[in-house]
Parts: sequence; structure tokens; C-alpha cells
Amino acid sequence: MTPLEFFLAGTMSAATVFLLAALGELVAEKSGMLNLGVEGMMAISAAVGFVVTYQSGSHIIGFIVAGAAGIGVSMVFALVSITFLANQVATGLAVGILGLGLSALIGKKHESLTVTAPDPIQIPVLSDIPLIGPVLFQQNIVVYLAIVIAILISFCLNKTRLGLAIRACGENPKAAEALSYSVLKIRYGAVAFGGLMAGFAGAYASTIYTPLWADGMIAGRGWIAVALVVFGTWKTGRIFLGAYLFGMVSLGELVVQSFGVALPSQLLSAMPFIVTIVVLAIISSDRARLRLHAPYALGETYDGSEPK
Amino acid sequence: MKLSFCAIKKTAFAVVLSTASLGSSANSETLDIGVLLPSPIADVGWSHALVEGFNGVKEKYGDDVKLNIVENIQEGPDADRIMNKMVGDGNKFLLLGSFGYMNSGLKLAKRNPDMSFIHASGYKVGDNFSPFTAKYYEGLYLMGMAAADLTKTKKLGVVGAYAIPELISSINGFALGARAVDPEITIDVIWLNSWFDPAKAQASAKALIANGADVLFSNAQDTPSVVAVGEEAGVYVFNLNSSMSEYAPTKYLGVVKTDWGPFFSASVDAHLNGNFEGRNEWLGVDAGVVVTEEWSSDISSEMVERIKTVEAEISSGARHVYDGPIHNQDGEQMVAVGERLDDGGILGINWHVQGVNTPLPK
Repeated sequence: MTPLEFFLAGTMSAATVFLLAALGELVAEKSGMLNLGVEGMMAISAAVGFVVTYQSGSHIIGFIVAGAAGIGVSMVFALVSITFLANQVATGLAVGILGLGLSALIGKKHESLTVTAPDPIQIPVLSDIPLIGPVLFQQNIVVYLAIVIAILISFCLNKTRLGLAIRACGENPKAAEALSYSVLKIRYGAVAFGGLMAGFAGAYASTIYTPLWADGMIAGRGWIAVALVVFGTWKTGRIFLGAYLFGMVSLGELVVQSFGVALPSQLLSAMPFIVTIVVLAIISSDRARLRLHAPYALGETYDGSEPK
Repeated sequence: MKLSFCAIKKTAFAVVLSTASLGSSANSETLDIGVLLPSPIADVGWSHALVEGFNGVKEKYGDDVKLNIVENIQEGPDADRIMNKMVGDGNKFLLLGSFGYMNSGLKLAKRNPDMSFIHASGYKVGDNFSPFTAKYYEGLYLMGMAAADLTKTKKLGVVGAYAIPELISSINGFALGARAVDPEITIDVIWLNSWFDPAKAQASAKALIANGADVLFSNAQDTPSVVAVGEEAGVYVFNLNSSMSEYAPTKYLGVVKTDWGPFFSASVDAHLNGNFEGRNEWLGVDAGVVVTEEWSSDISSEMVERIKTVEAEISSGARHVYDGPIHNQDGEQMVAVGERLDDGGILGINWHVQGVNTPLPK
């Protein structure tokens, strides 16, 4: 594999972690639920997914259980912030911190163990094309699934009745209720979907991308996923681009270093964050665009029984 | 303060055990040893090696010593809080397992003159505060020789945590050893700027391999991230502190192990005898602290012999890794022929030797 192939192929696999988690958060936020606990949900699912994969030897079972774990943690958030009407920001942060702690406990006995990542797919002819083959056609199946999920979510949110209902809950829950949608149920569902996707992101991180468990291995990637949703102004296509851009910048840093380019590595390490801040600043400078896309009722608790 | 505290304690003892003799109670008290670690204790790695270092102490004193370990504590306010609590809980001997615990640890030591502190990787010394470091570069020189024997691309790769002197001097030792065998060899380095990010470490290892490296050095990585990549990609790989051979059964080059046992035992003995003295403990091959072992069977027998000879020379002091002539990356002579870089120069080293491609982050 040449450095260029490594760079491009690595970008795709690095971006998948961000993409999966950010897509889930997008759906939750579209319904008006700001869940800041993504980092914690990913950590727990990474631990659970790793332990199950390690014990069962099956990545598929690992993914399923990790997804369930993600839903489980997200339900704690949903219960407190939807049913008990607690502040979403505070609840999300608390659940995130709880998740980080629990993940350490769950993974304790498996600290620093490894599993084997499943082999990437091999497509006859296509996988053997120079450059394009290793980059596009020798990835893990999850990389492609993430792209498919992105397309499906985009379609669902924009073209289906369900998507309309989700968006209505995020824009004006009272109006949604008036249209006889159950805001409660839809928000619960959206948060659960966010948990499921964070679970997949965690399992992908601990069993495929970096097939080992170590406490703290999510290392801020959940936070980046949350930022990516804003970064992409709540639009699936832009979130996709953001995830790939972020993957590219974070990997580019390593490639640049290995080539011995005379740039300070501290600056390079900060690059993904600098790029995020710059892009966020540019996007935010256009207030109209932000207002147009941000769910109007994002982060607001909704109590159906009280007139608003 | 110390006296009155002891007096109160002894009074308490006298009340509870009215028949016990006061004289012997001082000796039969359990010594509580507080251990503060920056990463989780796993089956391998830095924290593991530190905890293992107390095995000798535990064997010798049995139930008379008690280890109170707190693991996975980031440097900063959290660490300060836990350190203070350890002191409050009555630990009399503290091991601080990370560089960044230094300043708060030293403050605590000044406030508690009856305690003894040993601190990993630091450089500040107090009356009852000893920093300790391993001369990793001695073991790395030997690893460099082994790597030179096996590399075909003549490119070696290093994944490092932070560009601090301890890690820089290790990489230099590695480069000097490799280039003593084959001067055409060059070394690529990727700095993670993080003590702990396994995903980034693995991506870095893959980037180095993509760039042609066929021997990898996992520098200060506590997880088998880089080692696992080496096995998977089919390039030789080695690491520090404790063996990770099970993660790379066919491609494990060896380990530069740290055996803290002799030093920890001596320190605890000194504390119990009341003659612990803070000083800079810099321990290498001759002290039995830096041990290279588990050599790959692929290394040629001639090279194994050569390595053994050099190891003996380093241990006896006949040879020093930083013997001149040594040039820096720009080709300037840093150590002249017949001279030797002094300890201060190594402990504070901020330049790479010739053959390291990657410029040092400034």
C-alpha cells in the first residue's frame, strides 16, 4: 500500500466512526433532543461490543449487543429529559460522564486485549484496480453500510411522513401534537435511534477500526460527532462531508509527520479541531442559514399537558 | 507536629491494646504504600510494570505492607486531589507514576517530611522526594542493532507519545544502535501528542508502514495498539516496559523491559529504616532495571552475539550509547570524537541524531 492509498483508504475508515455517531445525533436533534451523551454512549457500547465480540468470536453479535447497549444508555437520557422534563444539556452531560465511568467498569477484565478485525471485502477485478481498488473496494463492510445509512436517513427525513413527523417535533412540538403526532413517542424513538447509532460507532471503533479495548479509547470522538451535526447545519450530506473531512485531516497529520515535513506536530494534532472551529465560524457567520436549518425547538423540554 | 501525632497514635494504641508493649508497636504497624497511576493496570504496559515492581517488597514484608492503588488518573486537578487524599488516608510511602504529578507531588512531600516519595520520569528532587527514570536508551541501542539486522527497506518507524527528552533520547539510542550496524538506515517518527489514543497509534503505525518502515518501535504506548498492527501487517515490532509478545507471536522483535523491583525494594527498605534520601535515580542496564529480552528467533546468531557483547560493555561502563562522534539531524557535530554526552545533556536532550528523518516539534 502506498502512502497515498493509505491516506485515502484510512480516511474512509476513520470517518466512519464519526459518521455513524453523527447520523444518530442528527436524528435525535431533528426531533428536538440535544443529547450530549454521545461520548459516553460510544464508550459503553465500545466496551460491551468488545467484550461480547471477544467472548463470542462474532462481530455481528458484538454489533447487535453494542447497539442494544447504546439504546439502553440513551433511554436513561430520554427518561430523565423527556418524561421527567430535566434540562437536556445537563442530563446529556451527566449520562455521558456516567457512560465513561461504566465503560471502564465493563471493560475492566478485558483491558488491553485484542480481537481480530474482520477481513475487508474483496470484489473481483474492482478491488485489484491500482489506487481506486484499495481505497474504494477493499474497505470493511461497515464503511459501506454507514454510507447507505446516511442516504437512507437523508431520504427518510426529507421525503417520508415519518421524517416530517420527526422534524415537526423538533420545530414546533405543540403543532406536531396538534397534528396528532405523539411528540413523546417520536422523541423517545429518535433518541433511541441516536443510541443505536452511537452503539454501532462504539462497536466499530473497538472491534474493527482499532480492534482492542482500552479504557478511554473513544478519546473525544463522540464530542466531534456532536460538533459535526452543527458543522453540517443539520443536513445529512454536509455531515457526511464533515465526517470525511475530519477523518482526512486527522489522518493527514500522521502522513505528513511520517514524510518528515517540517511542521510542528502539536499544530498538526490540533488541525482537526482548528479546521472544525474555522468551518463552524464560517457557517455561523451566516445567521440566516443557521436559523433556517437548526431545529427551532432544539433542546427545549416539552410537556404536552401544559399549554406553551 | 510529627511528634504529637505519634503520641496521639500511641495513646490510642495504649488504650485499645492496654497490654501491648509500646516499643514494638512502631515496627509492627503496617506500611501503607499509595500508588497513583496514569493509565489502567492491564496485563501489559507502563502501569503494569510499576505495580509488578512492588512484588519483591510484598514478598519481603508480607502483610506488613499494603498497596493502595488508584489507576487511570489524568495529570491535573484530579491527580492533586487523589494525592492529597492518599496522604490523608495515612499512606507513608507514595509512588507517583507519571511525569505531570511532579509539582503537586513535590509540594506534598515538603508538607509531609515523615513520608517518602518516589516519582516516575521527573527531574525535581526534594529531601524526601526521588524522581526515577530508566535509561531506556541503553536498551534501545541494542534494539536498534537487532532492527538493523532484520530491516530490508532500511527504514524504521517510531510511534511516540510526546516529544519529551526521555522519549527523544530513546529514539536517538535506537537510531545510534541501528546506524552503528548499517549507516544507510533512516528513522521516521510520528508524535501522537497524547499519552493515550490507541486508535491514533494504530493509524500512525499503518502510516509508517505505508511509508516503507519494516520495523516499528512502540514508544511509550501502554496498549498493544502498535504491536498488534505490526503482526497484522507483517513487520517486526517491539515495545517498552513489559512484554507484549502474545500480541505479535511471529513478528515480536523483543522488549526493552523495566524491572523496577530492585529500586522499589531499596527505597521501601530505606524508608522503613528512616534513611530515605531524595535523589535523582537514573537506572540502566547495570542496575538491572533496563532489561532487553524475548529476542526474535529471526535475528541472526552473529547479531545476537554482537548484541550480547555490546550489552556487557554498556553494563561495565566500557561503552556508552552517547559516545562521540555524534551528529544532529543537520549534520552538525554535537559530541566530538572521544567525548561523551554528559548526564545533563541526555536528560535534557532536545535534538535528534543523524538518520532520524522527522524534524523535532519545537
